[in-house]
Amino acid sequence: MLARTRSWLAIALGAMFALGSGNAEARTLDEIIKSGSIKVGVNPTLVPLGKFDEKNEIAGFDVDYATEIAKMLGVKLEVVQVGSPDRIPFVQSGKIDFVMGAMTRNPERAKVIDFTLPVHTEVFGILTTEAKPFKDWKELNTESVTLVQVRGTTPIKFITDNLPKAKITQLDNYPDVIRALAQGRGDAMLDVVDFVGEHMNKHKDVKWKVLAEKPVDVYFCGLGIAKTSTGLKDWLNVAIFELARRGKTDEMWLKWFGIPMLYPTGVGPAF
Amino acid sequence: MSSILQYGQIWPYLPSLAAGAWLSLQIAFLAFCGGLLIGTAGAAALSFGGPVLRRIVRSYVTFFTNTPQLVQIYFLYFALPDAGILLSSYAAVLIGMTLNAGAYLTDIQRAGFESVRANEMEAAEVLGFSRLQQIQFVILPHVARVLFPSLSNQYILMTLGTSMAAVFGVEELTGRAFNINSQTFRSIEVFTVTAGFYIAITLVASVILGLIGRFAFRARMRII
Repeated sequence: MLARTRSWLAIALGAMFALGSGNAEARTLDEIIKSGSIKVGVNPTLVPLGKFDEKNEIAGFDVDYATEIAKMLGVKLEVVQVGSPDRIPFVQSGKIDFVMGAMTRNPERAKVIDFTLPVHTEVFGILTTEAKPFKDWKELNTESVTLVQVRGTTPIKFITDNLPKAKITQLDNYPDVIRALAQGRGDAMLDVVDFVGEHMNKHKDVKWKVLAEKPVDVYFCGLGIAKTSTGLKDWLNVAIFELARRGKTDEMWLKWFGIPMLYPTGVGPAF
Repeated sequence: MSSILQYGQIWPYLPSLAAGAWLSLQIAFLAFCGGLLIGTAGAAALSFGGPVLRRIVRSYVTFFTNTPQLVQIYFLYFALPDAGILLSSYAAVLIGMTLNAGAYLTDIQRAGFESVRANEMEAAEVLGFSRLQQIQFVILPHVARVLFPSLSNQYILMTLGTSMAAVFGVEELTGRAFNINSQTFRSIEVFTVTAGFYIAITLVASVILGLIGRFAFRARMRII
């Protein structure tokens, strides 16, 4: 998850937990089944993947997805709260059996943990409206364009590096940014678009347009597993394919994000 | 990133912060001048106006002094477009701060108007002062002397209040500080330097206002 850089609380908590982690070994598939429960790491700061509900319990897409996985495996689900900096150590030390929370697959991370097939994607791209002529994000590099962004997030750096001519209006949070776009205060937003679906839906009269065919980048997010968890990855890949094939993944995505997944994961039967 | 107090990393951003401080100063000054006009009219209306006018002005003062300024600007920026009025970030902040200042300055100036005693006016009349001379030599020095300290306090408060503009996308001092903080993660350094800028711009204002107060209006003011 790229856009949320302000989770200093998660960093602080992560540092605390990391200090307390022991040398336990990651569990194999057999051990998980025998123990009767699976421990899944969810980051409650990445709404709506994970968040605290009214009862102060962690809910969200990740929790629903993990619930389905646990059901298929025939074990109980145990949700463990993780933050961005501590989630990989948690997997390696066996505190959790796999981690969710927009685990973008990349070669660096894949050196230390294993990844399953992608569960979902994230589109780092342009949100604009039908009234605007843009087809490609590169067209936004002119002085007549105003991008509305959340102050202090990582896309700002990308814009100043790659779209230096565009003007930026920086507001305090995502609902304000989406409302400003809806009110015509700017032309577009450059961010991870999936995460603002809920706010987009609040402006029903606005014809939103996502340049999903030509995004700046697409992140493929899988489940992160310890390299020593024998058998777990293979089983999870089968489960992920089944959930995708039966439409369960899309159903859960629509429930939590309010919009269909913008870029297909392309998960097929062969892996 | 291990050590703290790396002010060198903040150094390149100083011109940007200075430009932000200038914008803060500008917003505060314009809003204060606008507020002073509203406040003078409001105080005059409260002192000399009819009952209806007094009630209107009193409602205005009550409304703006009893609701958060942030909410007032929020209304101007995000609620008015639903009624077809699209104010720019800068305009919304400036109008919001002016209306807010107008309410406070009405209250402050009303106190000044009331502080001129009837027998002082009578004494001036006995001495043969014309109306203009009464205002020039009795009312104005009196009002100025009583009011000047509260007016300059209000001005300082407004300068600090401009930090709210960051929420609405105005790149003033605080907004720029947030931006730099998110790029460098040197929070202690960025915010101490920013605090320094605020102290500098308020201190300069205090000194100027104090000097004006002391010499022009003979108000008993501490310069620093």
